Amino acid sequence: MLFVAALTVPNTIAAQDFTLPTWSGAYQPQGSDEAGLWMLADEHERVMRDSPVVMTDENLNAYVKRVLCRTVGDDRCAATRIYIVRAPVFNANMAPNGTMRVYTGLLLRARSEAELAAVLGHEFAHFEQRHNLAAYKRFRTGSDIMAWAALLGATAAAMGLDTGSSVRDTQIAVLGSYYRYGREDEREADQLGFSYLASAGYKPSAAADIWRAVMNEADHSAAARGRRSRRYDGVAFFSTHPTELERADTLALLANRVDGGDREGADAYRQALAPWRGQFLADQLKLNDFGASDYLLQRLAGEEWTSDLLFARAELYRERGNPRDLVASAEFYRSALAGKPSLAAAWRGLGLALMRSGERTAGQEALGRYLELSPEASDARMIEMMVEE
Amino acid sequence: MRFAILVALGCMAVSQPALAHKLIPQGKPVEVAKSTLTVTPTTDWNRLSQRPGRVAETWTLDGDELNDLTFYGGVEDNKTLFREVDKKNRPLPRFASDMLLADIPALVEASYRIARGTTIFNITVMEPTQFAGHKGIRFSYEFVGGDDVRRKGEADAAIVQGRLYMTSFEAPALHFFDQSIEEYRALRSTIAL
Repeated sequence: MLFVAALTVPNTIAAQDFTLPTWSGAYQPQGSDEAGLWMLADEHERVMRDSPVVMTDENLNAYVKRVLCRTVGDDRCAATRIYIVRAPVFNANMAPNGTMRVYTGLLLRARSEAELAAVLGHEFAHFEQRHNLAAYKRFRTGSDIMAWAALLGATAAAMGLDTGSSVRDTQIAVLGSYYRYGREDEREADQLGFSYLASAGYKPSAAADIWRAVMNEADHSAAARGRRSRRYDGVAFFSTHPTELERADTLALLANRVDGGDREGADAYRQALAPWRGQFLADQLKLNDFGASDYLLQRLAGEEWTSDLLFARAELYRERGNPRDLVASAEFYRSALAGKPSLAAAWRGLGLALMRSGERTAGQEALGRYLELSPEASDARMIEMMVEE
Repeated sequence: MRFAILVALGCMAVSQPALAHKLIPQGKPVEVAKSTLTVTPTTDWNRLSQRPGRVAETWTLDGDELNDLTFYGGVEDNKTLFREVDKKNRPLPRFASDMLLADIPALVEASYRIARGTTIFNITVMEPTQFAGHKGIRFSYEFVGGDDVRRKGEADAAIVQGRLYMTSFEAPALHFFDQSIEEYRALRSTIAL
């Protein structure tokens, strides 16, 4: 079946060309449906702008905006406002009024500018083609109402939506309320998305890379919980973007057809994210999703396990807390410390892992090192007691 | 029409007790959270009928969203703090009886992040304490809930015979936390097991 799909896809792609359409500039909504959608989007944007969940770090915001502008060009970029939402979920979306929400879970998962550009470009393509309006009209006619219910369910699943209506309104304003795109919309957005990547000189294969990674992550998450995953609607992003197993293959084929550049921007990306990666990793680790987190760490590490990734992995294993996990986590902490002996939090974790394994003396020694390195830590008095007893 | 009104009133009468709060008068020792955990309130509290977890119980002074005192009466090994919200896709972390006291705040944090969709949660202080005569941990935290309101919390916990006993007080950082935190501090000094 997959083989057949692979054979048929190139024929449908053959007719595509990747030249960018003309950008019409300052667009205003046409008709009452679209005007209504814009009004709602404006209202949500006002609520969201003041939300404590939106990240205000200027450098990070400027960087993400730069990547979007480089991807879609300055003219198009001028129609957008970017908001970085602190939520450990792979997602990005764009409202019809030009509000773009980028979740920190996406920033954590991308490994390069090209991967981020692929996702942002895809979202912008939906915006440029006004797919939200089409999806809304479908929703209104009722044929898509089940899909919409599924989408709301998936967002709720990803974010722990509260059931109280006032709470839900706030959350939808912050996280974005979106209708599920149609498959035809997805194909159009893919094509236009690749056109942006190509004209910006980004490596087009990045699109398939990140898509595949997120699908793999969902598989790993399910496997670690003893389930099989066949659909990806549980992933917030895919709940609005219908996706099948072959999707990544289709993207890979498209990538081969487009004359892209080879810009990856992995170093620039790593640098821009450096002040935040530890925090975003910590947010991810607290989701009690061992399979997904471990897969994500391995993908980020690639060939080289840096101290921060080793530390994150150690924390992940310690939190799961089986006796074998505690042994593994102590190993990871030690490796992290071998690379960076000043990593106070790793001494803390090592100490706690050892103490919990019953290695009291060694544990107290590690905790002592932690206190030497950060005597003012918020938990210093608790740890002092453990060292002394 | 009249019948419809009667039915509506009937429904209200039936649903009312489910939402009712029960007055917990001051000065009288009371067992909480289906356990032998006993406290003697120093002011009047209201007990919410809805339990956040199997062995948990919530009290309030002015209303659930404004101030919230929760007791956990001996969470057993391999059990969650709260009721599962979506066990299949987002299972809650479980308490383990071999956990260290210093592991408890992280368990609370992860439970909140999953059960309440909290994306911002900071533990600000952890220190040793006595909990009903047992070695315990006291920790303070701040978080932003699904309603975008910043809240502060203070909690006390101990692991006794492999079970987790904990009390926590939470209220919006703006005004409400400072207004009532002393009520909680007075109450926790009466905790007995």
